Amino acid sequence: MAGSLTRGEPAAASGPRPVPAVLRTALYAAGVLAHRILLLAVLLAAVFAAVELLPGDAADATSERGESAADLAARRHLLGLDRPVAERFWDWMTGLPTGDLGTSARGEPVADLLAHPFPNTLLLGGLALLVTLVASVAFGCWAAARPGGPLDRGVSASATGILALPEFVVAVALVLVFALWTDWLPAVTLTDADGSPASWEMLVLPVLALAIPQIGWNTRIVRAALADEAKAPHIETAVLDGLPRHRVLTHHLLPGALPTIAAGIATSTGMLLGGAVVVETIFNYPGIGSVLAGAVADRDSPVIAGVVAVTGAVITGVLLLADLVRAWASGGRT
Amino acid sequence: MNLNRRQVLWAGGGTGAALLLAACGGGDETSAKSPAKANEKPRPGGTLRVGALGRASAITRDPHGSQANESDYLIISLVHDTLTVPGTKPNTVPRLAASWQASDDLKTWRFTLAKGAKFHDGTPVTAADVVWSLKRLRNTPAGASRLPGIKAENIKAEGDDTVVLVSDYANAELPQLTRLTTFVLKKDTKDADLGKAPGTGPFKLDWFRSGNARLVRNDDWYGGDVYLDAIEVKIFESPQAMANALLAGQIDVASNVGAVAARTAEKRDDIQIVRRPNDMAMPVVMRTTDGPFADAKVREALRLAVDREAMVKQVLSGYGTVANDILGTGDPAYAKDIPQRKRDLAKAKQLLKEAGFDTSKTYKLLTTEDIAGLAESATLFASQVREAGVKVEVVKQESATFWDKTWLKGDLYTTYWGTNDSVVFFASKTMVSDSGQNEAGWKDKEFDAAYRKAMATKDAAARAKVLHELQQIEYDASGYLLWGMADGIDLAGAAVRDLPTLPGYGRVQLEQAWLAR
Repeated sequence: MAGSLTRGEPAAASGPRPVPAVLRTALYAAGVLAHRILLLAVLLAAVFAAVELLPGDAADATSERGESAADLAARRHLLGLDRPVAERFWDWMTGLPTGDLGTSARGEPVADLLAHPFPNTLLLGGLALLVTLVASVAFGCWAAARPGGPLDRGVSASATGILALPEFVVAVALVLVFALWTDWLPAVTLTDADGSPASWEMLVLPVLALAIPQIGWNTRIVRAALADEAKAPHIETAVLDGLPRHRVLTHHLLPGALPTIAAGIATSTGMLLGGAVVVETIFNYPGIGSVLAGAVADRDSPVIAGVVAVTGAVITGVLLLADLVRAWASGGRT
Repeated sequence: MNLNRRQVLWAGGGTGAALLLAACGGGDETSAKSPAKANEKPRPGGTLRVGALGRASAITRDPHGSQANESDYLIISLVHDTLTVPGTKPNTVPRLAASWQASDDLKTWRFTLAKGAKFHDGTPVTAADVVWSLKRLRNTPAGASRLPGIKAENIKAEGDDTVVLVSDYANAELPQLTRLTTFVLKKDTKDADLGKAPGTGPFKLDWFRSGNARLVRNDDWYGGDVYLDAIEVKIFESPQAMANALLAGQIDVASNVGAVAARTAEKRDDIQIVRRPNDMAMPVVMRTTDGPFADAKVREALRLAVDREAMVKQVLSGYGTVANDILGTGDPAYAKDIPQRKRDLAKAKQLLKEAGFDTSKTYKLLTTEDIAGLAESATLFASQVREAGVKVEVVKQESATFWDKTWLKGDLYTTYWGTNDSVVFFASKTMVSDSGQNEAGWKDKEFDAAYRKAMATKDAAARAKVLHELQQIEYDASGYLLWGMADGIDLAGAAVRDLPTLPGYGRVQLEQAWLAR
C-alpha cells in the first residue's frame, strides 16, 4: 500500500495523472461503441429477417410480367435468394468490414448506389442539425431570459405547436409559399453532373422542413434544462453576486444545462435522418431516402441493410459524441 | 409478382409497348394546348430539361436489364436504337431496321439495317452487332417473354446488313416484338462498360450520375434532323415533386406525370397539357373457368351494369375515353364498328336472373394501389353494380400479395396494362387458352382458332378481317370488363414543341422535339 502510494505521488506531481482520465474516457467510449456496434448488428439481422417476412421477394419484385416460373427460379438463383436467409446475412455481414455492401437486386453494387446519395443526406441532415442547434439554443435562452414573461410563454407555446407538425406538412407548406407563390426559392432539388445539388438555394427549403419540427422539440428541452439549472444554488449565488445576466447565462446556466441539451440534440439526429426519407421525396432531394423507399418495395435486403448500416453508423457516432460531451460536462462539475 | 406502373409499361416490351392514333390527330387529339402549332418551323438549338419517374434504388444501366425506371428507359432509348419503334399507323415503324420481309410461312423474317447507321464512336453498325445484341437480350431471365418464339440460335446474320429471325411458329406480327427492347450495342460489349457503351441513337451520353443524365445531339444520326442541342434527364421519385419542378420552371417537360398534376396545371396558361390517348387499360377481370362469374350471362350483366362515362369522368378526371371491353384500343385494326356497350340495368338484372346468380351474397373485388386511379375504379364499380343488385366489396391488397396470390387466380380483380396499341398483344398474352398470363382463365376454341388464323395470314386485308372476328368473340365472351382507357399525361413549358403523343413508351421519342425560344 505504502509502496504504491509513494510511487503514485511523483506521478501525480509531474503531470501524467490526467492519463488515467483520458484512458478512462477511451475505455468508456470503446465500451459504449462495442455495445452500439453489437446493437447495430442485431438491427441488421432484424432487417434481413423482416424483409424475409414481407410477401414476395426481390426476384418477384424485379421481374417483368410474363416471366415464367423457370425464369423466376433462374433469377432467384442468380440473386442467391434460394439460400437460407441466415447464410445470406452472414455473407453480407462478413463483407461489411471491407466496405463491401453487397449487390442490389438489379445487379448494381450497393456501395455505388449509396456513394452519391449518402453524402447528400449527411449534408442535408448535418445542416438541419446545425440550424436546429443554433435556433433552439437561441430560442431557449431567449425564453429563459425572462421566465414566465410574455416572450417565454409565446416561444414555449409555438415550440409545442411546431413540434407536433409532421415534416411533410411543413415541407408542402414551404414549397407552396416560397417556391410556387413567391418564386423566391427552387421547388425541388436538381442534381449536377457530380451528383450533388446544383445550387445552394436548393438546400434551403429541405433543411428548413427538416429542422423546424426539431427546433420545436429542442427549444422545449433547452428551456426546461435552463429552468432546472436556474434553481441550482450556485446560480443564485452568481445572480446575488450581481453578475450581468448574459454572463450568468453563458458561464453558469448553459454549461450546467449542456448535458441535457446534448442528449436532446443527439436524439434529434435519428429523427432528422428518419424525416429525411419524407422530406427528400417531397423535394426530390438526391439522398438515401428514395434509395430506401425503393429498396423496401423491391425487397432488396442488401440495399436496405446498406442504408441502415451507414445511417446506423452515423447515429452511433453522434450518440457517442453526445455521451462524451455529457461525461465531460458533468465530470468537470464534480 | 410485384410490378409497379413503370414495370408494367415496360412489360409491354415483350410485344412492344403502347401507341396509338396519336400523331395523326396532332392538335386535334390532344388538348387545345397541344405543343404542335401549325406554321411553325422547327428551330435548332437549346437544352430540353425532362423530368422522368424513377427510384434511386432501381437504377440500371443495362439496356437489356430489368428496368423499372422510366428515367433509365428514357436515357437508354435516346442513346441506343431498337430495330423498330412504336408508330401510329401502322403501329410498328422502322428505326435501325429500315425494312423487313417475311417468308410465305411467316416464320422467317429478314430485317435490313438502315444505311449509314453508325455508333457514336464512328464505327458502322453491322448485322453481327445486332445479332450479338438480340442474343444477349434473349439470354436474359426475361428473354423468353421479350422475344417469344424466337430461340437464341435462330437469330442469325446474313451479310453485313441483314438480320434473320426464325420463329417457332407463324407470326404475322413478329416485327412488333422488336419495338421496345432490342437495343443494339457493339458486339462483345462488356457488362462493366454498359454505362458508357456507344449507342447509335439521336443523342450521345455526355454524363450520367445517380439516375440523372445529360445527352448531346448526335449530328451523324442516320434517322433525320435532330434539333435540340442537348437533353437533360432528371430523375423524380414522385409525380408531385416533378409537377412542382415544372410549375416552378425548373424543368421543361414532366413526363407521364398523371391526371392529378394536369388538373393543377389547367389553371396555368404557360403550361401545356399533352394528352396521349390509350395509354393505360385498367380492366376488371372476371374468372371464366369456375366460380360465380363462369356463366357468360353474369359477365355480360356486369358489363351492362357499369356506367362507363361516370368511370372516365370520376376515376380519370375526364382524362380518358370510354372503352368497349376489347383490349388493344390503340390498334389500327381495332374494331371501332362493334356497337359501344351502354349501361342497361334492366337487361343486366334479367341476365342475372336467367343465370340464377346468387344476389344475396357479397362478392370480393380485389385491387391494389399500384397505379393512380386503380383502387378508385374498383370502388366506383362496386357502387355502380350494386344498382343491378350485385353486392361487391372492394378489398385492397398490398402489391406483392396481389401479384403473388390474386393475379391469374382470383374470381374478380382489377388489373392494368400499358401496351394498348395491339389487339394481338393481348390475344397472345392473356386470352389464347394456353397463354402464360391468361388472367381470366379463358378457354375458347373459336377464339384460339381465330388467333391462329390471324397469325398465319400474310395478306394484311385478310388478316384484318380475321382480327375483326377475333375481337367480336372477345367482346361477346371474354373475362374482361374494360370500361375505359386512361390518357398518358405529360406537362410541358410554353416553349416546348412537337412532343410525342404516342401512348406508353412512345413518349420517349423526343428526337423531333424543339424549343421555340
